[in-house]
Amino acid sequence: MRLLLPVLLVLLGMQPRPGLTADQIARQVQDRDTGRDSRADLRMRLFDRRDRVRERALTLTTLRGREAPGAPPSAPDGDRLLIRFTFPNDIRGTSFLVWKHPKSEDERFLYLPSLGRVRRIAGSEAQESFVGSDFSYEDIGGRELEDFTYALLDENAAWTAPDGTARPAYRLESKRRDRAAEFPRVVSLVVKDSFVVVGADVFNRRDEKQKVYSVSRLQPVQGVWTVMASSMTNALDRTRTELAIEKIEYNTGLKEDAFTRRALEGPGR
Amino acid sequence: MSAWLAEFLWRRRYVLSAMIVLVAIAFAPRANITHIDNDITAWFAKDDPVYRDYERFRDEFGGSRTLIIALKADSADRLFSPATLDFIRQVSGDIERVDTVERVASLATATTVEALNAATGDSGIDVHRLIEEGGGQTPADVRRRALKDDLIRGDLVSDDGAVTAVVVSFDEKRIDAVRGGVIQQIHGLVDPRLPPGVKAFYNGSLEISETYNRITLANQRTFTPPIFVITLLAVYLSFRSWRKMLLTIVAVGISVLWTLGLFSLMGYSYNVLSSMLVPLIVVLAIADDVHIMQHWDEKRRHLSPEAAFKATVAHLATPLFGASATTALGMASLATSSVVAVRSFGVGAAVGIMVDFMISLVFVPTILSLMKPEAGEAPHEKYLVRPMRRIAAFSTRRPRAVLAVSVALSLVALLGIRDLRVDTNHISFFSKDHPLGQSARVVDDELSGIYSFQILLEGPPDSLSTPDTLRRMDRLEGELRKLPNVKKVRSVADYVRRVNKELHDGDPAADIVPADASTVAQELFVFTLGGEGRHELERVVASDFSSAQIDVKLRAMDSNLVLALIERTDALSAATFAGTGIKATTTGSGRLFSTLDHYLVSSQISSFGTAFFTVFAVIFIIFRSVRFGFLTIAPNVLPVLAVLGVMGFLGISMNIATVMVASVALGVVDDDTIHFINRYRREVAAGASTDEAIEASTVHEGRASLTTAIINSLGFGVLMFSEYKPTAWFGGLLGLTMTVAFLAEVFILPATIKLLPGLFGAEALRRASSRPVPA
Repeated sequence: MRLLLPVLLVLLGMQPRPGLTADQIARQVQDRDTGRDSRADLRMRLFDRRDRVRERALTLTTLRGREAPGAPPSAPDGDRLLIRFTFPNDIRGTSFLVWKHPKSEDERFLYLPSLGRVRRIAGSEAQESFVGSDFSYEDIGGRELEDFTYALLDENAAWTAPDGTARPAYRLESKRRDRAAEFPRVVSLVVKDSFVVVGADVFNRRDEKQKVYSVSRLQPVQGVWTVMASSMTNALDRTRTELAIEKIEYNTGLKEDAFTRRALEGPGR
Repeated sequence: MSAWLAEFLWRRRYVLSAMIVLVAIAFAPRANITHIDNDITAWFAKDDPVYRDYERFRDEFGGSRTLIIALKADSADRLFSPATLDFIRQVSGDIERVDTVERVASLATATTVEALNAATGDSGIDVHRLIEEGGGQTPADVRRRALKDDLIRGDLVSDDGAVTAVVVSFDEKRIDAVRGGVIQQIHGLVDPRLPPGVKAFYNGSLEISETYNRITLANQRTFTPPIFVITLLAVYLSFRSWRKMLLTIVAVGISVLWTLGLFSLMGYSYNVLSSMLVPLIVVLAIADDVHIMQHWDEKRRHLSPEAAFKATVAHLATPLFGASATTALGMASLATSSVVAVRSFGVGAAVGIMVDFMISLVFVPTILSLMKPEAGEAPHEKYLVRPMRRIAAFSTRRPRAVLAVSVALSLVALLGIRDLRVDTNHISFFSKDHPLGQSARVVDDELSGIYSFQILLEGPPDSLSTPDTLRRMDRLEGELRKLPNVKKVRSVADYVRRVNKELHDGDPAADIVPADASTVAQELFVFTLGGEGRHELERVVASDFSSAQIDVKLRAMDSNLVLALIERTDALSAATFAGTGIKATTTGSGRLFSTLDHYLVSSQISSFGTAFFTVFAVIFIIFRSVRFGFLTIAPNVLPVLAVLGVMGFLGISMNIATVMVASVALGVVDDDTIHFINRYRREVAAGASTDEAIEASTVHEGRASLTTAIINSLGFGVLMFSEYKPTAWFGGLLGLTMTVAFLAEVFILPATIKLLPGLFGAEALRRASSRPVPA
């Protein structure tokens, strides 16, 4: 289940397949062709509990790892993410690099222009906040399929798109094997024809619905369905993050050298 | 007027008495004082500036009224053992699940920032929870990180590593309604699962408030039966009459039901303060009833029930009204208090006192008129008349000696008053062995203290993240740390310093607020990269940097010291941020409760002062005599001086508990004086000489005062056995006040009259008045 970029990209025209199990649906969400790489300009709006908003603009470039379907052998062992902030001006150039490793702890690096040096950041978890937003890295970068068990709660659910049209969907429950995780349970709404996750209720350790993900704009880009606008609301903290894609390109030919520590220091490409 | 009233009441005595009883029965369901209203707005008016500051602070940063659980292990190794760390992690999670809990700060929720080990050859920064889910790190590593972090050490863990705190913050809009149950639930989550060698100590403003409530209710349950029984016995022994004993209890009960019923009908709720209405009304009602019963006995021996009724009412209506009115006006003056609970107490007490006056004047003589006259002498007549005569003889023969002793005692009392402090230290209300006293020692000595206040800084958006502002905050923090009793100070500036230092590989020289705005912005941004860091930062600075707080933690201390500290802080804050456009306001639970204590004590003292003038005014009005107004001053002042002096010598401060004694004492002292003067003037008007009038007043009114003092002192003296000091003080000081009031009445009043015959002597009064002395 992935919510953004490769996660949110689904081939047009994919038809629903009858009789899929929960595991098969999860696999479809995981394995769909989401492009080899992407580059997007994003605008993030963070609402605090008094509904005050802070805006951030960032570019997000991604490169799929070699475990992704169709990835070349030269691809890195895991996905690569590079986040570079462009607004507000006082954090402009602040950059963040994530090296995902399927079999070991992810590596993260930070570049602060004011210090002029790359710093490694240790101790982060997949369910931790994505750059201080209500999204987690897991929401952005995707979940490891085998970390969860799945159950199909409703085979005949429906998702009402922002334009009012109803689309058939699955309601899928994902339970994390590690019950000590911050969010051990997620109930997702997966559109049947494209395996895009268009909504999710994220439950905390107390099994309270703490976060709610919803898609407000879904459209095809370069032939793939892309979530152009979405939000994550944290009901307990009373905070909300809205994420909108202003521009996105797929399969731009990015190489692994665009995701090195040296690249982290440089200007965006 | 009194004769007309007596006639009126005699004709309608049954209707009025039936109404009194029926209304009391109707009020019974409302007189439930087992539920105490905990809402903070029961104390603070919503438009009070101190409360409004706190609301503004609370809306931004959450409440600062917390529950502190100090976990004390027998060694640091025990605290930082896998079992204890797992326990802390589990209880932190479980407490977070309790309804109304907003946040738990503990070793399990703390975020640390430190430079990565240079030995790895990698320059970097490590931002994560001190105790990771799943227990990724060793206890030794957790211990090292906790003790290394200035933001954690001394606050969440003691310097020696053997004590840690779990600090629980609540949704303050909901917690007060369910506080007792929630705190009990948290005790239930922690206590049964404590690892061996670890003890839990509970404190914090919510625990203190809840303990007050528990103790108030427990005291009511524990002490009401013995007070009831002893008062009954004392009434019986004074009158040796089962009927009078029952009548007293029924009459007092009716007055209490009326008072509580009307209090509830006026829309007021019960709290720790309004629970004092019951002893107040009981004491005053007994005083009224004893006067009426004693007078009735004297009249009934020679008169018919109707004549005795009318004579008693006619004789006592004026002094009872005067005595009640003075006390009621004193209480009514509390209606101007800044504290909502004091206002409601003042109005409730004033209404209750006047209602009790009417009930006593109608109901008691009506029931007495249905009783057979007592055949023999009552013990108070048998045993007290002769000593009273001797006292009267002594006072009239040795007035100078009496006044000399009074002056000497007053001077001694003044010496004690020099040591009298006006302050409230909630922790000192409990014995050192009480769980609250024990926990206060642990939190104050080992951690960052149980009291706190916050400085709320407000300015335009982004103004609280500029290097200049942060450096000013840092400087102010340094000044505050130098102040006495301040244990910990923390603000967003500390987070910036910490991140800056760790981004410079832990270099101590980098433990500063950087001068460059972009660096500050980027370092703050680093701290918010993790969700925990973002939430932690939101506790100290608004997301748009338009407001921030400086958290100041203190050891438990007197409220006047807290207020002095706050005043000093205000001055330092104003100087630090002068000309910056940033407004600094001191707020938080420390400000709230020390202000509340200040309001409570000052309003009571002001009420007490008002009452002296009121006594004078009422006596002037009802006796139409300026000189007798002045006569009341000495006998009213001495008991107050004596009580304040004894408090000074015993180290009992004037606090929210003891000022209530003053309120009750006030009513009693007034009563005694007014009854005595009324009797004296009546005896003089009837043709008695000065000495004869003094003897009659002492024998009759002095005896009633002594009887009342004995009954109430014995009854409420039981309270001296309470483990809760304010309750014990109340019991002891009440007895002392009544005793001194009685002595002032029977010694000082007669001695003053004797020494100033030109003003108060019988002949002078008869000469001055060409008309009969009013009844």
